Amino acid sequence: MMNYEPALLKKLYRNYLALREAEKVMVDIYYTGKVPGHIHSGEGEEATLAAVLELMRQGDYFSGHHRVLASTYLTGVPFREIFAEIMGKRTGTARGVSGCNHTCDLRKGGLGTSSSLGSDTGIAVGAALTCKLRGDKSLAIKEYGDATSSRGPVHEGMVLAASWQLPVFFVSTYNTFGISGDSRELLPTAHPTADRAKGYGMPSEVAQGNDILEIYEKASKLMDYIRETGKPAVLETVNYRWRGHFEGDQCAYRDEAEAEAARKNDGLAKFEKELLAKKVMTKKEIEAMKKEIADELDDAVKFGEESPAPTMEDVRVMMLAEEN
Amino acid sequence: MAMKTYAQAVNDALREEMRQDKNIVLFGEDVAKHGGIFQATKGLQEEFGGDRVKDAPIAETAIVGAAIGAAATGLRPVAEIMYGDFLLVAYHEIYHMMAKWRFMHGEEFKIPMVIRSAQGSSFGAACEHSNCVEPLFIHSPGLTIISPSNVYDVKGLLKSAIRSNNPVLFLEHKQLYKSKMEIPDEEYTLPIGVADVKRQGSDCTVVAIGLMVGRSLEAAEILAKEGIELEVIDPRTIAPMDYQAIYDSVAKTHRLVVAEESNLTGGLGAEISARVMENAFFELDAPVGRVAALDVPIPYNVELEIQVVPSVEKIVAAVKTACNK
Repeated sequence: MMNYEPALLKKLYRNYLALREAEKVMVDIYYTGKVPGHIHSGEGEEATLAAVLELMRQGDYFSGHHRVLASTYLTGVPFREIFAEIMGKRTGTARGVSGCNHTCDLRKGGLGTSSSLGSDTGIAVGAALTCKLRGDKSLAIKEYGDATSSRGPVHEGMVLAASWQLPVFFVSTYNTFGISGDSRELLPTAHPTADRAKGYGMPSEVAQGNDILEIYEKASKLMDYIRETGKPAVLETVNYRWRGHFEGDQCAYRDEAEAEAARKNDGLAKFEKELLAKKVMTKKEIEAMKKEIADELDDAVKFGEESPAPTMEDVRVMMLAEEN
Repeated sequence: MAMKTYAQAVNDALREEMRQDKNIVLFGEDVAKHGGIFQATKGLQEEFGGDRVKDAPIAETAIVGAAIGAAATGLRPVAEIMYGDFLLVAYHEIYHMMAKWRFMHGEEFKIPMVIRSAQGSSFGAACEHSNCVEPLFIHSPGLTIISPSNVYDVKGLLKSAIRSNNPVLFLEHKQLYKSKMEIPDEEYTLPIGVADVKRQGSDCTVVAIGLMVGRSLEAAEILAKEGIELEVIDPRTIAPMDYQAIYDSVAKTHRLVVAEESNLTGGLGAEISARVMENAFFELDAPVGRVAALDVPIPYNVELEIQVVPSVEKIVAAVKTACNK
C-alpha cells in the first residue's frame, strides 16, 4: 500500500464506498416501493469495478452487468440520472423506459447492458473495433459474472476479440452463484473465465474480489498489456454474493453460515481500517466522505421521486434515431 | 445503362458507399478473402483493406453484437450473416439488441448498421437453409426490414440502408443473385418505406414479396391473356410496410392476394389482410387471398420443395378465386 500515492488510495476508497452506499440505497428504495421492477444487489462485489473503472480513460468503453448498477457513476453519470432510471422516471439515463440495467451514458463511454446477460459481449468487441480503427490505444471493458460465462455469446465474443486481435478487457466477477446455482458445482473449473483464457490465446489473472488493491494492480497490468498490444485479456475476481439473486430471495438453496462469513470478510471495512492504520486518511476525512456520498444519494433519490414519469412520446422518441 | 447481376449490384452498392464513407466496415463469414459465398463482396477487401473488410470466425451472435457495438461507437457496419436461417442463431441479438439498443439506453445512441443475409428456397438446400424469415422479425419494433426483388432495387435500397441511422435487416434472395437487369450507370438510391407498383392493373392487386414479385409478374402475363389485369405491388420495405400504397391499390382493384415465400401461418399475408380488413374493408369485393409456403418444413427433395414454395400457377389460381373466375 505504501507504493501508492495517497490521492489514488483515497480515490479508490471513495469509488468503493460510493458503490457500496449506492447498493444500500437501492435496496432501501426497493423496500419502500420506489422501484417498479426488480433489483439485484451487488453489495460486497463493488471492489472490482471500483478498481477497474478507475483505470478507464477518455475514449474507453464500458459494459457492465446487472449487479453494482451504479458503477456507471464512476464513468461520470450522476447518481441523479442513475436513480431516476431505476425509479422509472423521465430524467433517467434512458428516460425511465428501460430500467435498472440501463444506467449508462454513451458520451461517457457507457455501452449498455443486455438483460439477457452475456449477449452484450459482442457489443464490447464491436466498440473495440472502433478503438482499433481510431488507433488511440483505447479499449473496451466487458464485465460479467461467473454464471454468465457459460453462455454462447460470451464464448463467441471472446473468440471474435481474439481472432480480430481487438483491445477488449474481459472482467468476470465470480460471485459463486447464478440465481440458486452454485458455480462450484455447476461450472467445469474453479475459474471459468480465467481458466478458459488460454484457449482463446489471452493472458489472464485471478484476484480476490474483495481486495481492491490486488484487483487494481492486476487490472492495471492487463490494461497496459491491452493498450500496448491491442489484444484482449481476462481478469477474474473471486467473491461471494452477499444477498439473494433478487431482493426477496430467501436463499434457501445455500448455507447461511457461509454467506455470513463472506459478509464478515468485507473488503471495504478492511480497506478503511488499513487506510486509517497507515494514516492515509483520518477518521474525520472518512466521515466527511461518507456524509458527502450520503447527501449525493439522498439528493438523487429525492430527484427521482420528484421527477415526472415518461410518456408514450418518450417511447416513440427513443425507438428510432432521426434520419439525415 | 449497364447489364448487371443482382450479386454485382450488391457489390457495386457496397463499393460506392465504402468509397464515400470511411466509417463503413464490412464483416462476416467468408466475405473477405473468398468474396462471399454468392460473390457479392468479391474484391472489396482488395480495395478497402483488411481493417475495413474482415472475415469472421463462425460466431453469428458475436458478429451481430460487434456490429451493434461498432455502430454505437461511430462506425457504419455492414455485417453479413450468410443464410437467412442463420439469423436465428443470433435471434436475440437482432430481435432485442439491434432493434432496441437505442430504446434501452438513451437517445444519444444511434445504431446505423445493416445485416445482409441470403434467404429463400434454392433447390435442395433443405429445411435449415431455405426459409424466408421476414415474419419472424416484423414482430420486433425498431427493426427496418428490406427484401429487394430485382437488380435495380437491390442496389438502390442497399445504399439507402447503409446511409440510414437505424438498424436494417436486408434480406437478399438466393435465387436472384444471378438474375440480370440493365441499371443506370449513374448513382441512385431508393427510399426506404415506400412500395413500388411493379405493374399497373385494374382487376386485382397482388402484394408480392421478394422472389414472388417475379412470379406474380409472370402470373400477370398469363392472366392478361384471360382478360384479368393484375396490379403488382412490391412493398420492398417489409417493416415499416407502406400500407397506404396497398389501400390505394385495393381502392382501385377491390381484390387482393398476398404472395410470399414464408409459411402461411403467421405470415405477412396474415398481417396485410388484417390491416386491409381494418382500414379498407369496404373496398373489398372478395376475401383476401393468401399464397404462401405450405406449413411444412422445406423438403430436401426438389420436386417436393417446388410443391411447398408458391408457384406462378398457385398465384394465378388465387387471383382467379379472388376474381370469381
